[in-house]
Order: sequence, then structure tokens, then C-alpha cells
Amino acid sequence: MLKNYLKIAFKVFLRRKFFTFISLFAISFTLVVLMVAVAFLDHIFGPNAVESRKDRTLGIYYMEMKTPDKRGMWNGSTGYRFLDRNTRNLPNVEKMSLFTEPKPIVSYLHSEKIQAYLKRTDGEFWEILTFRFLEGAPYTAEDEKNRNLVAVINDATRKKFFGNESAVGKTIEVDGQNFRVVGVVENVPYLRQVPFSDIWVPISTAKNDTYRNEMMGDFQAIYLARSENDLQAIRDEFKARLNNIEFPDPKEWNSMYGEMNTYFEALSRELVGSRDDNGSASRPGRLLAAMIIIAILFMLLPTVNLININVSRIMERAGEIGVRKAFGASSWTLVGQFIVENVLLTLIGGVLGFFLSRFVLQFITASGWFPYAEFHVNYRIFLGGLGLAVIFGLLSGVYPAWKMSRLNPVQALKGAAR
Amino acid sequence: MFRHLCKLVWNRKRVNFLITLEIFISFLVVFGVIVFAVYYLDNYRHPLGFNYENVWAVQVGIEKKSDDSDRQRLLDTTKQMLATLKDFGEIEHVAAVWGAPYSRGNWQSGNTIKGRNVRFWGNFMTDEAKDVFGINIVRGRWFGKEDDGANYNPIILNQKTARDIFGDEDPLGKNPEERFDPDPDGPSPSANREPKKPERVIGIIDDFRKNGEFAELFGYQIFRNTLTMPDGREPRAFVMKVRPGTTAEFEEKLVKRMQAIAKDWSFEVKTIAQMRSENHTSYYVPIAAFGLVAGFLMLMVALGLTGVLWQSVTQRTKEIGLRRAKGATATRIYKQILGELLVITTFGLLIGVLVVIQFPLLDFLGFATKQVYLYSMLLSLALIYLLTIACGLYPSRLATKVQPAEALHYE
Repeated sequence: MLKNYLKIAFKVFLRRKFFTFISLFAISFTLVVLMVAVAFLDHIFGPNAVESRKDRTLGIYYMEMKTPDKRGMWNGSTGYRFLDRNTRNLPNVEKMSLFTEPKPIVSYLHSEKIQAYLKRTDGEFWEILTFRFLEGAPYTAEDEKNRNLVAVINDATRKKFFGNESAVGKTIEVDGQNFRVVGVVENVPYLRQVPFSDIWVPISTAKNDTYRNEMMGDFQAIYLARSENDLQAIRDEFKARLNNIEFPDPKEWNSMYGEMNTYFEALSRELVGSRDDNGSASRPGRLLAAMIIIAILFMLLPTVNLININVSRIMERAGEIGVRKAFGASSWTLVGQFIVENVLLTLIGGVLGFFLSRFVLQFITASGWFPYAEFHVNYRIFLGGLGLAVIFGLLSGVYPAWKMSRLNPVQALKGAAR
Repeated sequence: MFRHLCKLVWNRKRVNFLITLEIFISFLVVFGVIVFAVYYLDNYRHPLGFNYENVWAVQVGIEKKSDDSDRQRLLDTTKQMLATLKDFGEIEHVAAVWGAPYSRGNWQSGNTIKGRNVRFWGNFMTDEAKDVFGINIVRGRWFGKEDDGANYNPIILNQKTARDIFGDEDPLGKNPEERFDPDPDGPSPSANREPKKPERVIGIIDDFRKNGEFAELFGYQIFRNTLTMPDGREPRAFVMKVRPGTTAEFEEKLVKRMQAIAKDWSFEVKTIAQMRSENHTSYYVPIAAFGLVAGFLMLMVALGLTGVLWQSVTQRTKEIGLRRAKGATATRIYKQILGELLVITTFGLLIGVLVVIQFPLLDFLGFATKQVYLYSMLLSLALIYLLTIACGLYPSRLATKVQPAEALHYE
């Protein structure tokens, strides 16, 4: 039975090539756009080799500091002093790490300009994040304490400075300082702002010490919890500690607001966060809802288009339906047949979309628009998208099929479909 | 004729409803992309206000103490830096500024005038900045020696800020702060540590659009940075006009020299032209990405629409044939099919326009002016009409080919 349906379906597809083409185009194009969007989200938020413990990591990426009259505000990344004095020894935190935002710097090698990003970190940075070392090893808390001028560089930077040779033990000049390379790691994508940099050096090698006194500055911190269940307790403890901060000059600034976030929460605060007297709060649910709404709105047009085409296609087959009905086929049998046809078409479109998505993502990866980025088709989401497409295929097929199947066979044979 | 077309459309309301819905959504999609494109283009045609040819910027990272106790030392180093840079034969003019063109971050200030919000970006520049950027003074003058030790703080406004604050009055010699509404809570405690000199407008410039050609048209104020206490402040960038033909090799020499003067500062050299192209890319990429997606959506809609119309013409062979048999010319059939399509399109667009008009009323997409809005709407309307007509051409021609005999043979 099914075999027969499939045979008929293929015959119909081939008979009306133009319609088949439009349907396939709509389905595969919609899937491609969804896949590319998901690949980007996955690239920014999903776990990867370096941030393998994302599920039990929290961070402090943004704080607000206010004047006594609450009118002056300083917002952005925090300062070393604040993080160092107030967030150490949080209960249930296994390890914590302080680091700066990546900063663009220039170096010169034989009169050639080398542009790179520099990040200053402590030794624990290398213990929380699981970098893959191509050679050498990370610097340690000991190096940080002794202000050793040592650096870890990524593969791309090694190529720029040393070609294909080994780099460990050699010296590089960075922003006027000379560092001895102790390790080389695989490139980390730019969009992973926590681990990303080209060159990593100890915080204490900064050109001067003023950072040690800053409440706000360009530092961020990540915290590795013992288990996922401890995250809420850690967040609460941090909130509680915000009430007992010691300020260097309380007459100038005397309060700080903020929360410990996952990276997705941090982004939701930036995009759709709410703001009140206690600083701005993250709204991950709202961001998720916004993404889903945008996705549905985007899929609306292809769906309407698909329904439109399906309605037309089926009208055309009034004659066939009349014959089937006249020979005793029930309405349900007919609906079943049309649904099989629609699902088949959707699946073909899905396979096409899959290969197109791979092609597009490979193209974006190769283009170098996003430094060190690699985009992949997310299979889980692909199946989800395909599932949605099948549902749309069903919806767009059922209504016209049901209407047609209820036609009076005599009228249908006459082709009097309206 | 029109009423008759409407009747025909209404008779096939189920099919036509779907087409209307499709056209309505397409209009929203097209408008969404076009409104941004038109907005950026509109910004682009306004004057930039500075010249970026052969201008280099060295952005400096200065770690300063939070209690400000080392400002004197920072200002001295800045002065020494300017003097040293001036000695390079390759550099014609050099100045210290708070924000270099196309750099990130804005110094924003604002106040209310009779309850109306006036906001502007600001910059602090040393006197030579005019020569570095070739800033065009429309009225009044640039900062000069006559401002040294004066009993006012000289400021320069762009034309938008001058208009926002002073309306049609001549702003020269006046103090903008006197126009602002008094603070309901009295002056803030941190502001009146030492009595400030009153501000005085000494010049009006075309504009200084630091954020580039595509950025919002915004108010702008330039303050004079004398690099002396108490009002001087440390710069975030040195900008310099270099001699034409200066190559990148000079860069290393420049940075090494600067590093020697301020060992604990960090430096990043770029030509403004380079920063400009990076800035432009950040505008092109999202527009291109959304434009591409919208373009494909429209292609999909166009194909779908053609298919549906084609199908409906085939289906209506009988009706069309009957008309031909009763003496209707091919042109009249052609007009009927296209006319029906136009009625459906107009209906979908009407709903679309009604929805889109709500946006400015609800202050959604508030960045666009009424003109930008109107042009975007007209452009989107024209585009959708073009699209549907193009889709209708082939099916309408097909309809004219229907032979009366063919139609009559159905019965």
C-alpha cells in the first residue's frame, strides 16, 4: 500500500516539476537559515573542548557601582580589588580564576607588524579551562606570584612569530615587554570571549600596579562549582556579600550591584535585561522566548507559502480523487495518501537542506570573518528542525486533503473543484 | 470594473486569503530590511565633519589611580609625548583627543530644556586637532591662545546641538548651561567640589561624526583640553596627520619612541582609514546577512505566487473560455487576471501599512525619522507591487491563450 503511495507521489512530483521545485526550495532554505542561526548560538554558548565544564561554571562579567546619592553610575567589567577581596573562598567553589578582557596589542618582528589579542590571567585559569596544549605547559600560580615574564600563545601566534618551528623557550616582544613562551595551545574562537586570546600572560606582569586598587576595571572572573547543585547557593552567597563591601573611598562610590551568571544569562542581561534600583538583572527566559518568537515569525512565511502551494497542487488532482472515490476509497484513505506524499516531499527537502547547511557553514568557517571559528551542523537541532518541517508539511497537507477527500465523486470527476 | 473585480476576488476568498496573508508578511519582512538600509543611507549623505586621509591614531591605554592623585604626572607625560611626536619629520600635525574617530565608546551628556531632552556626545581636544582633522568652522572660531587663562571654558558645538539648545538664536558667546532646567534636587554633591568656570560657545562646526558615516546624527560638543590643571585630562588617543606617502615602517619607529617616553602605557596604532573600513564592515555585515535572507524569502514567495496563479488560471479555463466566447478580447482577460491580483495585493499591503504605521506611534524603531519611515514604506510598497506584477505576468498571458472551444468542451 505504502509502496503504491510512494510510487504515485514520485510520479506526481515529476509531473509538476515546478511545484516540486518550489516546495523543496522553501523547505531546504528554511532549514538552512535555522541551522546557520543555531550553529552560531551553539558556537557561542554550547560546550566545547576548552569550556568543557560549562555546566558548573559561573562568572562575574558585569557589575554596576554607584555613588552615595545613587545618581552616578559606573558599569562594565569589574576591578581586581573587588574580585580579589570579596569573591575568594565562596563556599562550594572548587576553583576561581581572575582574568582581563582580551585587549588588542601590536608587536613588531623584523619591522613587520603583528596584531594580536592579549589577556592577563592568573594560574588557576589553566586549571578551570581545559585548553589543549600543542607543546609546553601553562604557567602556574607560582609564576603569577613571582611576576615571571612568561606567556602562553596560540597556534596562529606561533606561526606569525616563529613560522613552523617550536616556540617553547623562545622570547616574544609584546607591547614593549619581553616574554618567554612556555606553552602553545590550539586556537580558541574569538566569539568565546572567556577563554579567547592570542597571547596569555600572568596578571602580575602588568606594566604598573594600579589595577590592584580598582573596584571597577577590566577584570572578569569565573568560578568552578563542586557540582551543578551548588550553583544557586553560590549565587546567593555572592548576593549576600555585596552588602558588606569595603570601598577605598566611600564618599565617592559606596555600593555595587550585580550577579553571578552563566554566559547566556550575561548576554540576556545585555539584550533584554530589566533594570531597577538594585542594578540590571539577567533575563534568560526572556531571551529564550524572544529567540523562539523570532524563529516562529521567520518560519511563518515559508509555511504560508507551503500551504498555498499544497492547496493549489491538490485542487489540480480533483479528477484523480473522483476516480478513487468512485471506486470506493474512503476519505481517510485519501487523506493518508496525501499526507504520505507531503511527508516524503518534506524529507527530501530536509536532506537537501542538510547538505546545503553544511556547505554554507563550511563557507562561513573558511571565510575567516570570525577568527578561529568553526561552525558545524548541530544534528540534534537539525532533527528538531526537520521534525518541525514535517509538522508543517502535515498541517499544510491535511487541510486541503481533507477538503478534497470530502468532494462528491460526481463533482470531482467533472473537475469542479473550487 | 473595480467593484466587479472585488466580487471575483471575494468569490475565491479561501485561496485569496492565503495569498493576502503571504503578501502581508512579505511586506513586513521587506520593510524591516529596507528601513535600516534607508536609515543608514540617509545618515551617510550627511557631512562627516572631518578628514581621514593620512590621519593616524595611536590609542593609548593609561592606568590611572582611582583617586586622581597622579593626574599632573599624566598631563606632563602627554605634553612631552606631543612635543616628541611633533619633532618627527613624517608628522605634520598632532593632537591629543579623548575619542579618536571610529573608536569605540562615547562620552555622553545631556539635560532637559523646558522638559525637552537634549543629549549630545562630547570630546576633549587639544588645539591642533583642527589641523589634523581639517575641521570646518561654520561660524565663530576654533580654540586659540586668547582662551588661555580666560574666565570661561570655551566650547564648540555642532549645528544640531546649537539648534537643540539655542533654537534660532545666535549661540556665539552664550552659556548653554544657563538654558538647562534647574536640577530639582539641587546640584549633585560631587559636582561642586571646586567652583567651575562658566562655559561659553566660541564656535560652530558642521559636525564631528566620531562614530562614522552610518552612525546616528547626534549632538556634539568639543571641549578644549589644555593639558594643564585643574581642567586638563589625560587623552585616550593621539591623532596625527602624516605626510603623504608615509609607510607602515614608520609605525614601529613611532611606537618604540612612544614606549620609551611612557613605559607603563600601552599603544595601538591604526590609520583612521583602516578604522573606518572596520567600522563600515560592522554595518555592512548584518544588513547583508538579513538582506540575503530576506532576498531568498522573496524569491521563495515569488515562485510560490507564480505557481498558485498559474494553477488558478488553469483551473478557471472554463470561466475564461466562456468570457472569450461571449466576445471578451485577450487584453480584457489579461486585465482581469492582473486586476484581481492587484486587488488582493493592495488588500494585503493595506493591512501591512496599518500595522507598520503603529511602530512610530508606539515608539518602536524610534531611531528613524518620519521621512526615513515614509521613504522606506513607499519603497517597500513599490517593491511588493513589482514582485506581484512580475509573478502575475506569465499566468495572465497564459489566460489569454485559452480558446473558447476548449472551455465549452467541458460541458
